[in-house]
Amino acid sequence: MSKRQLAMAMDLNKCIGCQTCTIACKTLWTRDEGMDYMWWNSVNTQPGLGTPRNWENMGGGFKDGVAQAGQLPTKADFGEAWQYNHEEVFYGGKGQNVHLQIQGETPNWGPNWDEDQGGGTYPNSYFFYLPRICNHCTNPACVAACPRKAIEKREEDGIVLINEDRCRGYRFCMEACPYKKIYFNHSKGVSQKCIFCYPRIEQGVANACARQCPGRVRFVGYRDDENGPIYKLVEKWKVAVPLHPEYGTDPNVFYVPPTGPLRFDENGNLDPTSPRIPEDYIRHLFGQPGIEALAIMLEEREKVRKGGKSEVLDILIAYKWSEMFGGFDRDPATIEWDNNGPINKA
Amino acid sequence: MKANYLAGVDTATLLDPKSNAWNQPKAETFKLMGTPLGMQPTELIRSSWAKKKIGQVESIKVQAAHNGETIAFRIEWATKAPSMTNGDNSIFPDGAAVALPADARAPVITMGAQGMPINAWYWRANDGGHGRQLSAEGIGTSETLDMEFVKTNGVYENGHWSVVIARALKIESKKPVAQLEVGQDAKFGVAIWDGKNQERGGIKAFTGGAWLDLSLEAGK
Repeated sequence: MSKRQLAMAMDLNKCIGCQTCTIACKTLWTRDEGMDYMWWNSVNTQPGLGTPRNWENMGGGFKDGVAQAGQLPTKADFGEAWQYNHEEVFYGGKGQNVHLQIQGETPNWGPNWDEDQGGGTYPNSYFFYLPRICNHCTNPACVAACPRKAIEKREEDGIVLINEDRCRGYRFCMEACPYKKIYFNHSKGVSQKCIFCYPRIEQGVANACARQCPGRVRFVGYRDDENGPIYKLVEKWKVAVPLHPEYGTDPNVFYVPPTGPLRFDENGNLDPTSPRIPEDYIRHLFGQPGIEALAIMLEEREKVRKGGKSEVLDILIAYKWSEMFGGFDRDPATIEWDNNGPINKA
Repeated sequence: MKANYLAGVDTATLLDPKSNAWNQPKAETFKLMGTPLGMQPTELIRSSWAKKKIGQVESIKVQAAHNGETIAFRIEWATKAPSMTNGDNSIFPDGAAVALPADARAPVITMGAQGMPINAWYWRANDGGHGRQLSAEGIGTSETLDMEFVKTNGVYENGHWSVVIARALKIESKKPVAQLEVGQDAKFGVAIWDGKNQERGGIKAFTGGAWLDLSLEAGK
């Protein structure tokens, strides 16, 4: 266990599935060769098969304290990076006579392929978005699996990093990660994954996915900082809970479960007595703590509805973006650089 | 086994597994065994391979030759399903390696031991001939030393891999590498990875817990 642990909390009630986080991550970290199919940050419509396809049934994690080898997700499971006829459309001299088309085989899967499906039946159909990054677990199955000690959990902040100089591309980590958030780079022959934007963090700047989120969904900070948002959401108010805690890795990404809209009864009237998003589904994702978190959320909302104040709802509303990041709110434009990196460190 | 002295044969010729130069050195057949389950370095690997066969390749033919400067091992084995790539993530490229002691006391079964390194020369089917030189001081400790000194070439034909792994007999290096001498004896071992069987890392077939003998023929 590391001395301190950085964590992220995401409020699923606020995520609009715009994928700005996904693109923020993509443009910053996964543009190099062999990374075209990688989405270190992904956002999927739930219920759904997710990314990679059916990842929740691929195994991994811990059983009786022993790291388990699950399935190796294939490139097709993640969704191959499709190539388009950009050249022809923009520079082919064909004006409006051509349009963008995927080149090669017609794909049958991709990131958030089942975006517009969701669950339930009309009029009580439902969906919500689930953004995912590496969980930088307290008990990382990837670290336990690697025969080369190529994966490190940093002592100072608990960020889990793959050392590409030691990695030989054996992919035991991909088998072990129950969240299937590790990718294999076929050009470099190494495994790669979300790095929790550690070069930004080291300069006092929150993760790109968090900082660029238009919905102010993501909170960042140390778990043990009692004045920070993570401690308040996770420990104090217990409204943010880990995804699939039964996987046994003790994730450090937390979610405020979605309350969802009200349900209609058979007469078409709003029925507040049971939730539209089935409890079983929330329990499937977050276990009983997810149900308890929802109960706290509903209670706090009721309190505010009656004219009271709620610390936890004020945090989740995020009136000031700078208060979401536990001190990691430095303006990147204030960082001065020379060839060796930043010269005015955080 | 003997590493024949092939006077005047250049390294490029030695690196061609189909070259006539390889008609002369006698091929020896070695039975391989899977690496023992209990010696796999993580519990995940031990539990996930408990019911799977480690080491699909059961025997190899090995020849060895040198030209006074470079030594080459030509390793041949049968496989109906060669693996040249990492596929869709779920397979691995076939591989072969020659291990030599970098310290006379180094055990081969554990890939060396602390303070007693072994040196390995490594070929992968997808590495485009860029061999890799490693050292290890025990299971799970292998380190890449360089991608410069070891030359490799693999040809798959008629259901067989023929792979040549070569390196200068002596190299200038402060790292723990084997230094060989013409006219003297040496030790070696061989490991083969069957990529379609998801063999990689310590999951491999090898010549076993004892070093094999190699005598480097002196110049005539």
